[in-house]
Amino acid sequence: MLALMQTEWFKLRKSKISFIILAGPFIAFLGGLTVDFTEADAPGVEWYLILLATNLAYALLFLPLISGVLASTICRYEHQEGGWKQLLALPVTRGKVFLSKYLLLMAIVLVIQLLYLAALYSVGLIKGVTEPFPLTIIWKSVLGGWVATLPLVALQLWLSILFKSYAAPLTVNVVFTLPAVLAINSERFGPYYPWAQPFSMMYISGDPNDLFFVPWEQLLTVVGGSFVIFYLMGWVYFQRKAI
Amino acid sequence: MEYIVETKNATKNFGKEKAVVGLDLQIPKGEIYGFLGPNGSGKTTTIRMLLGLMKPTFGSVRIFGKDIKKEKIEILKRVGSLVENPSYYPHLTAYENLETSRKILGVPKKRIHEVLAIVRLSDAANKKVKGFSLGMKQRLGIAAALLHQPDLLILDEPTNGLDPSGIIEIRELIKRLPKETGMTILLSSHLLAEIDQMATTVGILRKGELIFQDSIETMRMYAKQTISLNVSSSEKAWRSLLAKGIKAEFEKGTILLSERSNEKVAQAVSSLVQDGFSVYRVQEEKKSLEDIFLQMTKEEQAV
Amino acid sequence: MMGRLMQAEFIKIKRKGFWFLAFLGALGVVAMQMVNYGVRKDYLFTQSEDRWGYYLMNIHSFTPLAIVLGIVILTSFLSSVENETNAWKQIIALPVSKRMVYLAKFTVLAIVLFISSFLMGIFTLLYGLYLGLGEAIPSADLMQYSFYPYFASLAVLAFQLWVATVSQNQAIPITIGVVGVIFAYSASVLPDWMIWKWPSLMNEWNDPMINVWWGLGAGALLYLAGMLDFTRRDVK
Repeated sequence: MLALMQTEWFKLRKSKISFIILAGPFIAFLGGLTVDFTEADAPGVEWYLILLATNLAYALLFLPLISGVLASTICRYEHQEGGWKQLLALPVTRGKVFLSKYLLLMAIVLVIQLLYLAALYSVGLIKGVTEPFPLTIIWKSVLGGWVATLPLVALQLWLSILFKSYAAPLTVNVVFTLPAVLAINSERFGPYYPWAQPFSMMYISGDPNDLFFVPWEQLLTVVGGSFVIFYLMGWVYFQRKAI
Repeated sequence: MEYIVETKNATKNFGKEKAVVGLDLQIPKGEIYGFLGPNGSGKTTTIRMLLGLMKPTFGSVRIFGKDIKKEKIEILKRVGSLVENPSYYPHLTAYENLETSRKILGVPKKRIHEVLAIVRLSDAANKKVKGFSLGMKQRLGIAAALLHQPDLLILDEPTNGLDPSGIIEIRELIKRLPKETGMTILLSSHLLAEIDQMATTVGILRKGELIFQDSIETMRMYAKQTISLNVSSSEKAWRSLLAKGIKAEFEKGTILLSERSNEKVAQAVSSLVQDGFSVYRVQEEKKSLEDIFLQMTKEEQAV
Repeated sequence: MMGRLMQAEFIKIKRKGFWFLAFLGALGVVAMQMVNYGVRKDYLFTQSEDRWGYYLMNIHSFTPLAIVLGIVILTSFLSSVENETNAWKQIIALPVSKRMVYLAKFTVLAIVLFISSFLMGIFTLLYGLYLGLGEAIPSADLMQYSFYPYFASLAVLAFQLWVATVSQNQAIPITIGVVGVIFAYSASVLPDWMIWKWPSLMNEWNDPMINVWWGLGAGALLYLAGMLDFTRRDVK
């Protein structure tokens, strides 16, 4: 399993992956720089303003979309010149190949989230924010956003195995991601829409006693439930795919 | 008899289309098994089933006596393969391509250099495969198949698209391997001459059915070449040969000698010359794969 | 020559879902408001006296996103048709200039997007009528919200096509495209010179027409730059 993941990373790291990884912090950084502290009506909110300014576009659109691009990238070279054939004729099970690709994707999304954190921090330094960095709250946001991508990455991995091109999985991704813009405004539908979860879990709100910014029930049923469904469907499809 | 590969009634349908029908392959240990058939006869589909890339619609596939359905991983640990066009990652170098498989197979790094040397690609180890010629890609594919010193090597059309020197090189390599390592090789091709030069056992596939499976010697009986003679007043000449007890047939104005040894041919020619016939041409007539098919199916029907 | 090249392009995009995407994008933007108005029509009606104007504004809040995303997807589709099949060398080997090939691709995309904008206009009108927003249909505004974003986004189209045709690895144009989508979404805080802001029709003078001219002007320049770069490069 470890060897399989190493191999995946070996193939992936030569695929301009750093370009994709750096796009996230780049956006967060630019977004953070646009923050205007003159609107701050209370002292000590500078960090939150930075977080809120970057969060919307980043969590709502960027994170779901880029996780799809990553999934397509990790499958691209397999589709190109018979990579699947070569890989699956080795003594590996398809389930393990699927899992190792999935785990690697989630690891990269985590790296993107950490770089996002670093981007926020550096914006604060540049802007001369003197308040202490609200680490626990921002950790919550960064890790929560990561957990919320668990189902989305599973779905995109499935679609990327299914389709050879980047465009087709991206289209599906867009079709599901754009409505999240509306869904987050709805108290009735927002909590049940998987693509709205990255935003909900990165947005600072809710009961401070919960582990993340959404209630446990929502986390388990919506994020957990859609993860199980998407992962299983992708896994089953991959088991049956004729190479 | 120990069979390395044994399929029973293996069948693969794609929807209504029957790709492979009731296949009973039997490949003995240490043989170079030539898998012969025209393009589209189901060779690649069969090979994909042997590798577990596709599941048979019904029937069983056993390799090393194990069922591919149940012990795929155990089997694949001992199998190396090159299916159809060579598979590779264009953005990686030759060395890196092998590294992706090596990690999974868990063999030592020095093995990469060894297999690159076997296929004579050591000089190109650090070049991206994108820029390789077809022959080099093919050799890289074989190198990848040899990485873990497999007991069974499956090569699908390994000389397809290669230039003559590339073909000879691969041919020598394939003949060398069983002698040096005792491995069994399954080799597919649509060219009779190719199988004839490498294989020790032959299976012939036609429209998804195995119509022949036996030693190369038995196949050669079918593929037997004949000597044809173009001579003046051919029918008369033919009768004169028969009169002297030389076996021959007469077909469309040419004489066909059944015996092909140098002696017999010389004897026939000299006899014709002595009798005053002019000998224009002496030719060896090769049978095409299609001729052999016809002959095999004809004899099958006769039986 | 151009005509035949474009016919060839249209044949190649057959069954690739191009027309479906054009339709889906147009419908999607309006469908978003169908859901919005379907769920809280009464509330939205209280938001403004000018119901048509408010409705068109709601529609327009998604149009820039949809156009920029559509451009990213279509350009990537178009170049993957060539990259997957290694067909570049085949077209380039035909007795046509590479400039013509590039122009044909650009024109095909521009046509598909135009049709999509046109469809969106029709869907917008139809659903507006269904909602019963009032007797007076603001046809000038309807035209403006349907077609201005299209012309304003030609610069993005020219830019994406350039990046997509010269990239071997489609991950790069797509990642750039996703970043562009984020820009389009954040249009209100973007400086006026950024091409991704233009489809929003915002600028400091509050004159949408300016964005149309910019889209056409910068679109032409970026088109030329992309074409020259494409002609200069070797075909792999």
